[in-house]
Amino acid sequence: MKGFITLLLLSLSSLSYATEQAEEIFKKLAPSLYQIRLIDNASGEKSSIGSGFQITADGLIATNYHVISGYARHPQKYKIEYLDHQGNKGSLTLQSVDVINDLALIKRTTENNMPFFSITENVPIKGEELYSLGNPHDLGMIVVPGTYNGLKKESFNDKIHFTGSVNSGMSGGPVVNKDTQVVGVNVATSGNQIGFLVPHDKLVSLFKAYRTSPPKSIKLQMAEQLAFNQDKLISTILNSDWQLKPLGKALIPTIDVPFLRCWGESNADKKDALILAAVANCSLDENTYLSSNFFTGFLEMEFRYMQAKELSDTKFYSLYEQHIKRAGPANKASKDDVTEYQCHHDIVAPKNDGLKRKSIFCTRAYKDFPKLYDVLYLSASLDKNNQALVSHFTIAGVKQDSAMDFSQKFMESASWK
Amino acid sequence: MEIIIEEISRNHKLLGRHKYVKQSISIGRGYQNDIIVSDPHVCAEHLQLDFDGEHWIVSDLDSINGSYLDDSKTNAHQHIINSGDIISLGKSQVRIVFPNHPVEESVSFSPFESLINIARNPLVLSASIILFAIITGWIFYLNSPLKVTFTQLLVPAISMTLLFAVWPGAIAVISHLTKHDSRVMSQVGICFVFFNLMWVSDVIERFVHFNTSGNFPLIWLLTLIPIALAFCLFWFNCSIGFHMSARRRIIVASCLTLLLFGGSFLIQLSKKPEFNPRPKYDATLMTPAFMITSGSSIDEFIEDSSKLFEKVNKEAKKQQE
Repeated sequence: MKGFITLLLLSLSSLSYATEQAEEIFKKLAPSLYQIRLIDNASGEKSSIGSGFQITADGLIATNYHVISGYARHPQKYKIEYLDHQGNKGSLTLQSVDVINDLALIKRTTENNMPFFSITENVPIKGEELYSLGNPHDLGMIVVPGTYNGLKKESFNDKIHFTGSVNSGMSGGPVVNKDTQVVGVNVATSGNQIGFLVPHDKLVSLFKAYRTSPPKSIKLQMAEQLAFNQDKLISTILNSDWQLKPLGKALIPTIDVPFLRCWGESNADKKDALILAAVANCSLDENTYLSSNFFTGFLEMEFRYMQAKELSDTKFYSLYEQHIKRAGPANKASKDDVTEYQCHHDIVAPKNDGLKRKSIFCTRAYKDFPKLYDVLYLSASLDKNNQALVSHFTIAGVKQDSAMDFSQKFMESASWK
Repeated sequence: MEIIIEEISRNHKLLGRHKYVKQSISIGRGYQNDIIVSDPHVCAEHLQLDFDGEHWIVSDLDSINGSYLDDSKTNAHQHIINSGDIISLGKSQVRIVFPNHPVEESVSFSPFESLINIARNPLVLSASIILFAIITGWIFYLNSPLKVTFTQLLVPAISMTLLFAVWPGAIAVISHLTKHDSRVMSQVGICFVFFNLMWVSDVIERFVHFNTSGNFPLIWLLTLIPIALAFCLFWFNCSIGFHMSARRRIIVASCLTLLLFGGSFLIQLSKKPEFNPRPKYDATLMTPAFMITSGSSIDEFIEDSSKLFEKVNKEAKKQQE
């Protein structure tokens, strides 16, 4: 009993010691943590808020791209402001962005050297305790403890999987280890107790690139990053193993990469359906945020196998046509962001006995980012009277060469068993 | 001396025609007259026409409302009649012509008259209506994603057929109201022949769309088929229902065609959103039996599609300026 009490006392004291230590730490860090606000020039009110943290003595602050995206896209419409732990306000200038990893560097003016967060050199170990910091409301700094769970497997661009409740105003805030070194940046939540962080190395490389050659134009920098990332994605996919797998009586390609997630559905349980349909869909688990109604960087592939049950060919094809009538893009974009689609259609019948089909290819151009396009492909097989295969893909924010290389490989891949 | 007297309506449509070989003719409401006019504004003994050996002369018999030349205020009393003169008495009118009055040239039968006669033949008429109903029902069947019974198809087939019969019916009513022969059967017969031809043009359109690629430059020609068919239908409607000159018939038919297609084009245009985030493409699919083209290779398709990038680039530039 005595031993038990000693143990209890011991653990209690160590607990209070840890709390004290944390308090100490965060008191020191508070001046380097900011609330970042985007102020609408016309109304003078804030249109979005997030968090940010200082990473140099001369006032360079890191935050999320999506916190300041309004300014990056329409610099005349907004200005960026900070609010520090003492309630002081000041203006900020945008220095550099990493739109793929959702990072941005902004700068405040300062006369004397200020305290700042140092960035870790080591990757945390699984299970390590981390603290997510932010300044979401006007309450000052908030600390959310959580655990490092390694990198998210299904992600093309690395993200840390963090168990802890990161809320939306904490976007752009740092996540530190117990030595107060930054290991990541808050970026997104995925429901209860699951958060995602941008790993520290992304921030380090953005910072290094900024120090060696600061970007001349944010827009051009974004265009380059988008093109580069999508090129990397498409070439990774094209160089991966494309295996054929059956879908009904057809063979469809599956690509052996972890970042494409596949789902399937069929109506095999519906007895009264006129057509047996099975759908296989693979898509990227992430997309790139450009503004609240403009997303890009997405890729999806879908195959739909259909088989008539006691139907005339004419009726089967009539229903089949309805299925391919209403294809649309998978990414949101508005009139200011993209042109309308232009399409080409043709019957494609390869000389070797590949799939005979009607193919449709559509593309639209990005207005602000030259040489980037959204593409959409749709094809309907035409060589069986009572079976059909619809093949479909969309890629958002891709260069012409990559889009066409992917189209070629995609078109060559599907076939009948 | 021979004289011909035509009773005509106010808009100069012929109501009755009488020929007399007499020296004197009386017109009035009384039953003793040669021409009895049942118009309350006409007196019992209203008007008399007399031949003096050389001319016919009008004498108004002191009627209450008088007699006038045509619609003018010129009193007709003691007027020397010329062939073709119109005399108003009360609210009625008569036209007086002499036997040597020239007539218009005879109109030859329109070559389409025989076609109209075939279309109004009861057998042909019912066949084309039934064909129309069957095609309508069949299209409902093709587009329904669920199982449908025969009776479920009967309702839309019959209602669509009735709806389409409104047009010839309306024309027949209008021609009847304008004192023309209504010829309902001919109108219905011709209309349904053309409605069925529209289905044929639909199939042709789909067939061409299906077999050609986006590169085919003459695809717009296809839209001319329904326009031409509509024009022909309206032309026939006019020719059956109304007596009008060839020129006028063409003008009326063109106007109706313009109204139909121009109107629907305007409606489409007004509904078009400022920006369409979805692609518009040709999704026509037909069964493999209808595929007559050998198709392109994948390389050709990729090459053709690559040309789109140039197009959207231009559009992006144009809108940036």
